[in-house]
Amino acid sequence: MRRRKKKTTNNNDNVQLDSRLAKQIDESLEGNLTVIKKTLGDASDLVIRRMTLNSSNKIKGAVLFIDGLVDKTSVQDFILEVMMVEVPPENISLAHVYDEIKDSALPIGEITETNKLDDLLLRLLSGETLVLLDNETRALSASTKGWKDRGVQETTSESVIRGPKESFTETLRTNTALVRRKIKNPNLRIDAKKIGKVTATDVAVLYIEGTADESVVKELHARLDKIDIDGVLESGYIEEFIEDPPYSPFPKVYYTERPDSIAGGLLEGKVAIVTDGTPNVLLVPALFVNFMQSSEDYYQRYDIGTFIRLLRLFSFVIALFMPSLYIAITTFHQEMIPAPLLINLAAQREGVPFPAFVEAVLMEATFEILREAGVRLPKAVGSAVSIVGALVLGESAVQAGLVSPAMVIVVALTAISSFVFPSYNMAIPVRMLRFSLMILAATFGLYGIILGLIALVLHLCSLQSFGVPYMSPFAPLVPKDQKDVLVRFPHWGLLSRPSATAHKNEKRTSGRNQPKEGSK
Amino acid sequence: MKGIRYFWGKSRLILIMFSYLIFLSGCWSSRELDELGIAVALGIDKTEEGTYSLTVQIINPSEIAAEKATTRPPVTLYKAEGETLFEAIRKMTKKAPRKIYFSQLRLLILGQSLAEEGVLPALDLLYRDAEFRTSFFMTIAKNASVEDILSVITPYEKIPANKIMDTITAAQENWAATEGVYIDQVISDIRSTGKSPVMTGILLNGSEDTGNSIKNIESPDAPTRLEIDHLSVFKDDRMLGWLNEAESKGYNYIVGNVKNTLINFPCKEEGSGKIGVEILRSNAAIDAKLKKGKPVISVEIEAEGNVGEVECQIDLSKPETLQMIEQKTEGDIKDKMQLSVKAAQEVYKSDIFGFGNAINRKEPNYWKKVEKEWNAHFVETDVEFDVKVNIRRKGTNVQPVQKEG
Repeated sequence: MRRRKKKTTNNNDNVQLDSRLAKQIDESLEGNLTVIKKTLGDASDLVIRRMTLNSSNKIKGAVLFIDGLVDKTSVQDFILEVMMVEVPPENISLAHVYDEIKDSALPIGEITETNKLDDLLLRLLSGETLVLLDNETRALSASTKGWKDRGVQETTSESVIRGPKESFTETLRTNTALVRRKIKNPNLRIDAKKIGKVTATDVAVLYIEGTADESVVKELHARLDKIDIDGVLESGYIEEFIEDPPYSPFPKVYYTERPDSIAGGLLEGKVAIVTDGTPNVLLVPALFVNFMQSSEDYYQRYDIGTFIRLLRLFSFVIALFMPSLYIAITTFHQEMIPAPLLINLAAQREGVPFPAFVEAVLMEATFEILREAGVRLPKAVGSAVSIVGALVLGESAVQAGLVSPAMVIVVALTAISSFVFPSYNMAIPVRMLRFSLMILAATFGLYGIILGLIALVLHLCSLQSFGVPYMSPFAPLVPKDQKDVLVRFPHWGLLSRPSATAHKNEKRTSGRNQPKEGSK
Repeated sequence: MKGIRYFWGKSRLILIMFSYLIFLSGCWSSRELDELGIAVALGIDKTEEGTYSLTVQIINPSEIAAEKATTRPPVTLYKAEGETLFEAIRKMTKKAPRKIYFSQLRLLILGQSLAEEGVLPALDLLYRDAEFRTSFFMTIAKNASVEDILSVITPYEKIPANKIMDTITAAQENWAATEGVYIDQVISDIRSTGKSPVMTGILLNGSEDTGNSIKNIESPDAPTRLEIDHLSVFKDDRMLGWLNEAESKGYNYIVGNVKNTLINFPCKEEGSGKIGVEILRSNAAIDAKLKKGKPVISVEIEAEGNVGEVECQIDLSKPETLQMIEQKTEGDIKDKMQLSVKAAQEVYKSDIFGFGNAINRKEPNYWKKVEKEWNAHFVETDVEFDVKVNIRRKGTNVQPVQKEG
């Protein structure tokens, strides 16, 4: 550990930059431009527009921006045109030109003043347009960010039948705006950060002050500040740094690309982390039950919402235990199978050369391979995978006598069940633990499965996400929070927010707003 | 490095605990389904030399699940002899290709000679071994050897043992002249001083030579068939003889086993056509009292029935007619019970009804005195019957079809 730290300091990519740039802006315009040009290595997308201001004293200036990161029309109309044609009035003194430009000339919303070269450079690379003047140690940076992005589109990975279809995009500002549009409350806080020494990725921390637990916010800020990495290309980088115990297959950070899910989380007192460059927004603290819930549960009526939640829990159990139960029962506990079924299964197994365990691992592995192949393939080839999977591997494997038909059913049911989770995150530990449980089942039978289950429950109960017990409100049991876990009460019955995350501001409604039957 | 140390520190205890599990295995021996010889019926008899002769009926799963008809039989028999049952079972591996798996056993057939000699020694293994479940029916081979009965290939139901089990269940529920008994019931009856066990008998109808060939099921009317017979009477663990159909039914009424059965009696005088009453529900209560130092058993039956069939011209709309039917039904039930008690008291001198247990519950002090020689007292015990039948429905027809006007 100590050695690694030393190495990082030596290799710090910012060190050399800093030595050149930590200094203040020079008086000489040409000097500044040279330094910037040199620092960027004569980058081909750097545009430097030198100009002489339209005044009697012939003040020299320059406008700098990175091509492709700025909105060209605003640079053209609101900076270049203003500087070269309108500014400054004829007889302004040299000393006042800068203030004139800053205070009254540029019709741009966001203007920052700085006198540090490194800050200037960072702004330039973030898509701002720099205005430098000769004989002036201050510089202006105008926010003209504008680049090609995807736009707000329909979500692809978390589709719903009822509910908003929009999804986050790769642009941080768009994403925070999507949340702000849902929560028009002055208490919504959006704290900005830059993470990554090389990428300087913009990160925003969102929470509702007064509802979110301050200690969670503070802890999150501390963990984010501690991140020491060269680049953040996706929120997954951040997730791994801020996750609570790093060695657990279960996700302790929730991510989604649905703004409504994030807004819902914020209302429950959670904290969201928006990362520039990815549509996946993180939400902490994340509890086990959050991964079993979908935002649609709240949009559909409460009865079907409850039914679907129970169904998800049931499929969680199937996805986790089905193959291992099949192995355990057919190889250890044949007396548990009703006689006609046993005869049927035995007949299917006649002539199958492998033990049930090998058979199961074979089929499960095949399925995992097929799934991975299906995810990476272009859409046009995707259908080929399903043909290979369904026909060649399923049907033919049975006909060739390599696996028994019952095993194909078991694997298929397991696979289908693992697709039920609204959160892809939670399907991952289920996929992996399934194999360990199969090994336990093949060596110890049901005894092994129960041991695995006990270990699993112990592990889950020992987890925490930002100080909140992972299994709450089951362990510790919070009776009043059960209204929105396995079942969903009608909205007028959800009187309080979950106490695990929103204990500071629990009251959701005043109550007594249950619709009355027959009232006019 | 830190990561590994963290992991090791956290999970060392768990890893050590898991390593203990290897020595703690409960059901270690895993067996694949295709390594099992699934036994569905077990026949036990004594040879003339006094050793056990064991016959096991094992299913051929692929023949049973086959979609097309095959020429191979759906079940296979294996036989072995041994000084003990366990020896015979283990010796069977010399002949059978797979180790025999007894958990799915549906049927146990005891040979008549073994039954007459005493069944208790043979039951110990079946009750002790973990592989045997207690949910198989105990039966007696009545007119043929155990082996002949087990080798009959049955039509309609591919597995003969299943056929017998299903027949016992159906006959018990709809005809009530037999009773399917499980091993735990038999053992507790044998060990109880206040009740003796009964078991159902199996009859072989037809020749055993045709029964064991697939030809047996090639014609719609199979020449050799297995049939469920009436109950056998035991005293302690020895079989004494058989009850006839009426006595068996009477037994079932007394012990409250009748779920559904049929009662026939003539309308008025003999030869005038009959009335059939379907009994749908019957509850029995056995009560014991002491009268002048002697026990008196009273059996109360409450039954509910339908008029099922009427062959003569009577007016079913009149309450008197229904009363008459009720009375005759009650009389018939009472007759059968009396016959049954008479057979038990006079012929076999064995308390198969559990009257002793009833006395034990009601008069424990008296029971302690007579427990040792209960059978002698049983023979002299008075039994009173009180039967109440309610006819509830008359089917979809109010009047008999023959009724004029």
